[in-house]
Amino acid sequence: MRRLFLSLAFAALATFAVANPFVWPAAWTVTPPGEAEYGGTLSTGSLSDPRTFQPVLQSETNEVTDMMQYATLLTQGPDSDEWIPYAAESFTVSDDGTVIDVVIRDSLRWSDGEPITVQDYFASYILQTDPDTGSNKYDSWFLNDVQITMEITGERSLRITFPAPDRLAFSTLAHFPVRDDILGEAYRTGGADAVNALWGTETDPSELVFDGPFMLTGFQPGERLIWVRNPYFGSWNVDEAGNELPFLDGMIHRIADGDAQLNLFLAGELDLFGPRNLDDIGVISVAIQNGDIDAEVIEGIGAAGSSQFIVFNWNLESNPFLQNVFRNVNFRQAMWHLVDREAIIELVYSGAAFPMHTNVYLNSPFWVNEDVTTYDYDPERALELLARAGFSHRDGQGYLVNAEGQRISFTLATNAGNAQREQITQIFADDAQAIGIDVTPTALDFSLLVDQLLSTGEDRPFEAILIGLTGGGRDWPFGDSVLTCGGFLHMFNTSGDCLTATETLIEQLVKQGRQTLDTDAAREIGFEIQELEAQMAPILYTVSPQVHTAFASRLGGEHPREIMAGAPVGTRQLPLTHIR
Amino acid sequence: MLPYIIRRFFHLIPTFLGATLLAFLISQLVPGDFVTQRALEPNVRQETIDRMRAQFGLDQPVLVQYVRWMGSLVQGDLGMSFSSNQPVMNVIRRPIQNSLYLVLFATILLWLMAIPLGVFSAVRQYTFGDQAVSAVSYFGLAIPNFFFAQVLVLGLFLFRGFTRETFGYSSLLFPVAGMTSNGWENFTPWHQFWDIMWHMIIPGFVIATASIAGFTRVLRGQMIEYLGSDFIRTARAKGLGNRSITYKHALRPAIIPFIAGIGALLPSLIGGAGLVEIVMAWPGITPRLLDAIQRQDIYVVLGFLVISSLLLMIGNLISDLLLAVADPRIRYG
Repeated sequence: MRRLFLSLAFAALATFAVANPFVWPAAWTVTPPGEAEYGGTLSTGSLSDPRTFQPVLQSETNEVTDMMQYATLLTQGPDSDEWIPYAAESFTVSDDGTVIDVVIRDSLRWSDGEPITVQDYFASYILQTDPDTGSNKYDSWFLNDVQITMEITGERSLRITFPAPDRLAFSTLAHFPVRDDILGEAYRTGGADAVNALWGTETDPSELVFDGPFMLTGFQPGERLIWVRNPYFGSWNVDEAGNELPFLDGMIHRIADGDAQLNLFLAGELDLFGPRNLDDIGVISVAIQNGDIDAEVIEGIGAAGSSQFIVFNWNLESNPFLQNVFRNVNFRQAMWHLVDREAIIELVYSGAAFPMHTNVYLNSPFWVNEDVTTYDYDPERALELLARAGFSHRDGQGYLVNAEGQRISFTLATNAGNAQREQITQIFADDAQAIGIDVTPTALDFSLLVDQLLSTGEDRPFEAILIGLTGGGRDWPFGDSVLTCGGFLHMFNTSGDCLTATETLIEQLVKQGRQTLDTDAAREIGFEIQELEAQMAPILYTVSPQVHTAFASRLGGEHPREIMAGAPVGTRQLPLTHIR
Repeated sequence: MLPYIIRRFFHLIPTFLGATLLAFLISQLVPGDFVTQRALEPNVRQETIDRMRAQFGLDQPVLVQYVRWMGSLVQGDLGMSFSSNQPVMNVIRRPIQNSLYLVLFATILLWLMAIPLGVFSAVRQYTFGDQAVSAVSYFGLAIPNFFFAQVLVLGLFLFRGFTRETFGYSSLLFPVAGMTSNGWENFTPWHQFWDIMWHMIIPGFVIATASIAGFTRVLRGQMIEYLGSDFIRTARAKGLGNRSITYKHALRPAIIPFIAGIGALLPSLIGGAGLVEIVMAWPGITPRLLDAIQRQDIYVVLGFLVISSLLLMIGNLISDLLLAVADPRIRYG
């Protein structure tokens, strides 16, 4: 009897060891475990064609390569910033935080049934770290210009070694595999060129392999991507009731621009749509009320993962007067008091935006310093600060002038075609004009604007620019390139040198924070960076637009409302999505 | 005529070189390049930006880039698309084909609508019908295509509301976007053809209406001129019926300029159907070209321009030849 019990126990253990799938938490979906049904096809939109099917080359987000980059070693769930093992069964971090050992699950499978192996993860590393393949992951493999390395340490184990402790280590482990016997083999025989020649958009989809919940079966350029369920995804992905995922039989991406997607959604041909503004929401709400479509629309699920700000050029050697003005902290603080966020939110975004006070995107609330010094709209205070900067008299036309009779006059540029930004520059210029500062709003071609902004040296060809940034993660939202003096996105001063003690201090804190593994300690450093930046006011943050969502009522499995958000968290997990 | 064709062909070469050089230089006047767009991502290092520029040859002087591009163009290679890392020809072939379907359909629709309207206006000069045709066709000329398409789509939604209330029928009369229905790849060839035709009706109608005004006015003028001419009077005197006079004797010479204009269709095909394609999500040239311009994927833009100038020149040649065929007074030696 005892032997039988022991063998049963062993059998159970063996089963557990063989089938150790990732269990998708019930907290990530509104549908209770066991209630979702299989079947159905999801129809959603995409703005443009994928430009490649090759996951390493990918220089942008694209639906096809996303579905090949699914089996990341670690992942972040929608409900927490914590990194959890996904394709990894477990991982350990060395005491000094520089070595991470990972064991991958043995149930991982590609869409053709072949196992996903450590060789596949290693091949992906090799391809990404060769500059000739042109991978956009290349830069993430460097820390202070020293390469992060990966080695195979066992049949299912990998070791990743960092040159120094790094807060972004785990995001490096959001590392996906590529097929070693296809892409890896091509690289070994023909180098980066051979890899780049593979899997263009002309490739027959049946030749492609996927690690995500769906596999591509058809691509009609400019029209649609057609997907069917990946039968092997369920071998390592189940819900809490033990159901193999995904629930859906298939998926279709209709390729159409925003207006056409809205029309398709109103025609009932799309299940998902991201309303771009309150106008879209209004149109959809009316269609729902009229009974034209059976859908739900949610306004303001969160803030966008982006910033919008005004930056002054500190490198204006050819105009020493304006350079001195821009380098004067009283002037910049005064200008920040002229950013009328309430008016911008009401007039430009019809109320669908949030005020922004620091460089941290509002979709990472954990990192936002709520107690930071803020500059609310206050023209009186602005006048006091300008007086401190030496501008207290008025000339015959009512403009503020200094003792030498010089008035402050500058051009505020933004990118042409972005109606919202153009309106913001106009609102700011009007408010500045009202207190006696001459601001000329202007709209330039985006590339020209970026060229001006990224130009380096002591004399740069712009005065002030309104622009935005996107990108960045949930682990340490303080980019080296933006906040260190040598960084090429250190937009207000690209002379290469820190011009103020505060810049130097921020630079030190950014480096220190990135090496602080304790999240609470890092957060404190992040708060300090935001406070120092607020006092220096080199960049005047304005507002962050809200993100909205709309989906057909037949669609189930979305995030509970409290964790629903804009990118990167999103509104639903594809494997948990089902048809009601 | 053959020597004339050969001579014209050789004239095309300098024109083509000039056109491509101009296109290349203009594309270089735009500030920034394909790589500039990536530079605003905080995670990208300067070294990567520089390396990409070198990889794409964007760090070379403009003339060097042009000579390299011309060198491969002579061998029939339009270059590589930066964003998709594949030959430009692969990127632009399908959109050209799709635009071609739409523009051909719209042209046929235009002829089907405009010829009867033009004839009607000419034989019923200054009547209420004539005025009404003019008014409606000028409306088509004046309203921007992309807006008209949106208005028609809105009309479809309103009509759906009406049919649902009245008959309980809640499907749309025509598709609001795209070129094919879901599942198209599994249809029979005949069903596939009809599916595309069905999707073409709204965008095709929009494009056709834009040209109706010009077409009917010119045809009306031509018809009036011929209807008043001596040979028509002779025909009438010989007792020919009105129908025969209008359609056989007046319409045939009146239509000559339009036949000659068929050649000019070729470049308008490549021009695509314009913003209608974007509003109706038609997978044609315009969305792809605008996307390439925005990304500064210059070889894709130039690819479209090269094919466009080639078709323009060939189209002009065909126009001239057709004119000789249609009008016996013209001879090329």
